[in-house]
Amino acid sequence: MDNALLDLAPILLTLKLATITTIVLLVLGTPVAWWLSQTTNRTKVIIESVVALPLVLPPTVLGFYLLIALSPQGFLGELWSVFSDSTLTFSFTGLVIGSVIYTMPFVVQPLQASFEMVGKPLQQAAHSLGANPFETFRQIILPLSSRGFLVAVTLGFAHTVGEFGVVLMIGGNIPEVTQVLSIVIYDHVEVLEYEQAHAYSAGLLVFSFVVLLLTYSLNKKLMIRL
Amino acid sequence: MNSGMIQIKYQARLNNFQLAVDICIPSSGITVIFGESGSGKSSLLNLIAGFDNAIRIEAAQLSLNNTVYDHHENKIRLKPWKRNIAYVFQDNRLFPHMTVEQNILFGFSRRNHESSALNKNDLIKKFKITDLLQQYPSQLSGGQKQRVSMVRALLSSPDLLIMDEPLAALDYASRQELLPYIESIHNELTIPVIYVSHDIKEVLRLADYIVLMNKGGVVAQGELSELCVSQPLLTQAEGSSFILQGDVDVAYTDEKLLSVNCENETILITGEGFKAGDALRILIHAKDVSLCITPPTDSSILNCVSVVIDSIVDNAHGKFQVYAKLGEQIVVAMISQRSCKALNLKAGKQVYAQFKATAMLK
Repeated sequence: MDNALLDLAPILLTLKLATITTIVLLVLGTPVAWWLSQTTNRTKVIIESVVALPLVLPPTVLGFYLLIALSPQGFLGELWSVFSDSTLTFSFTGLVIGSVIYTMPFVVQPLQASFEMVGKPLQQAAHSLGANPFETFRQIILPLSSRGFLVAVTLGFAHTVGEFGVVLMIGGNIPEVTQVLSIVIYDHVEVLEYEQAHAYSAGLLVFSFVVLLLTYSLNKKLMIRL
Repeated sequence: MNSGMIQIKYQARLNNFQLAVDICIPSSGITVIFGESGSGKSSLLNLIAGFDNAIRIEAAQLSLNNTVYDHHENKIRLKPWKRNIAYVFQDNRLFPHMTVEQNILFGFSRRNHESSALNKNDLIKKFKITDLLQQYPSQLSGGQKQRVSMVRALLSSPDLLIMDEPLAALDYASRQELLPYIESIHNELTIPVIYVSHDIKEVLRLADYIVLMNKGGVVAQGELSELCVSQPLLTQAEGSSFILQGDVDVAYTDEKLLSVNCENETILITGEGFKAGDALRILIHAKDVSLCITPPTDSSILNCVSVVIDSIVDNAHGKFQVYAKLGEQIVVAMISQRSCKALNLKAGKQVYAQFKATAMLK
């Protein structure tokens, strides 16, 4: 095996992107999911639809609009230029922004479902015992939603690892900056380097399978005792 | 605030349902709110607890221990966690990821207990949950869960305890097991309790004060002893029931029979644990009462009292409810339209009422 086959940079970059995206999504997605699970506001369906958009849109469409928004002339790009000399397009930061948006439903939906499952009754019980909404969330909702969080983290991470279209549109193919695994595999196939493509693909396949396997087996142990 | 009484005043609307309640209940003892499902009992409890389930409040007033909880005109509506009101739910709502001990300490740890007369260890002992402390709710029986949920509520040192049909989801044996615990809350603690029920037997056993609700309004309220003689307690499930109050004359222990003096008539009922001189309440279902013009002889039904018909009401189900006076108390008979005609019953007529007494309470 030569070095070309064992280039670790895309793998590390992919793991870094997936980790950061997942963390950002937990921070941003948890309040969104909580709001969606609690509100009776009419705007709920609009927000739900917006969050779910990446599930149905071709990644190229999303990538195209993100490219426009992130470019130095776009509104996000312009905002960014106030704080930084670099550009968002074809940068790792841009990739994180794209991934966060693209993977949003995979984190928000399981969280929302698990918050809804804990439900109003236990919240009312906690309130009647003097716990304010924050304490109730921390002591009742969070522990009882652990399965939802596990599913959200797994799906969010795995989905970011498997991302291709959006990355290609806004990140391009810059080694060690935006060249993630799926892009590298595509490159190798294009120049008919099937051996390398095989190595990465098989690795990704095994990795994804193991992650899901671990999640499903852990899930049973995390079963809420009802 | 009028000490000794708690004023509860709410007017609210939920879709087509209008709730209008303005009552004063005693600040100690158990007040039972009694009514059919859909009469607005649960809505009223939610309003008192501060839970806003999409209900539109038009007027509200509630104060406890000199704290204003609700005052609509002054735009005061305290959040549920700022109200010192504990809630025992029909479905117990124990936190499934916490042990019994963690559950009961949930409210205990966040309230000030210096003013409280409650001792944690006493309560744990009294409700017999010492051996359950390290278990999870899923390991408990229905009755045990409800005992834990009562301790959890009491340990938060509430100024008011709400119990929303706490026995309704339990089987008969568990209900019998739990009633003494609820009575002990009543007898040994000074916390006022609002207890919602549609089970007449619970009402008779527990209530000091009773509020009858129907269609979002209050039909009647008062001390149980006053109210139940002036007004039959109506429930859809069981038909009308009424109560006679009397004193035990003789207790025939070998026959497990009690001879009760009620308005100078003698009523025989089965029962133990009473002695001559004890006051008791007898629960009678209107459908178990038959009327006759002449005193019957040779009947297996032991009780026959002379009454005077007060009024006759058509209940629109082919049945008539005959209200008759036994001295100061009221006897209700549910009879068919045909019998009513055949016997030529009308107000003022003297008849004999025969009945089996189905339950009796302290």
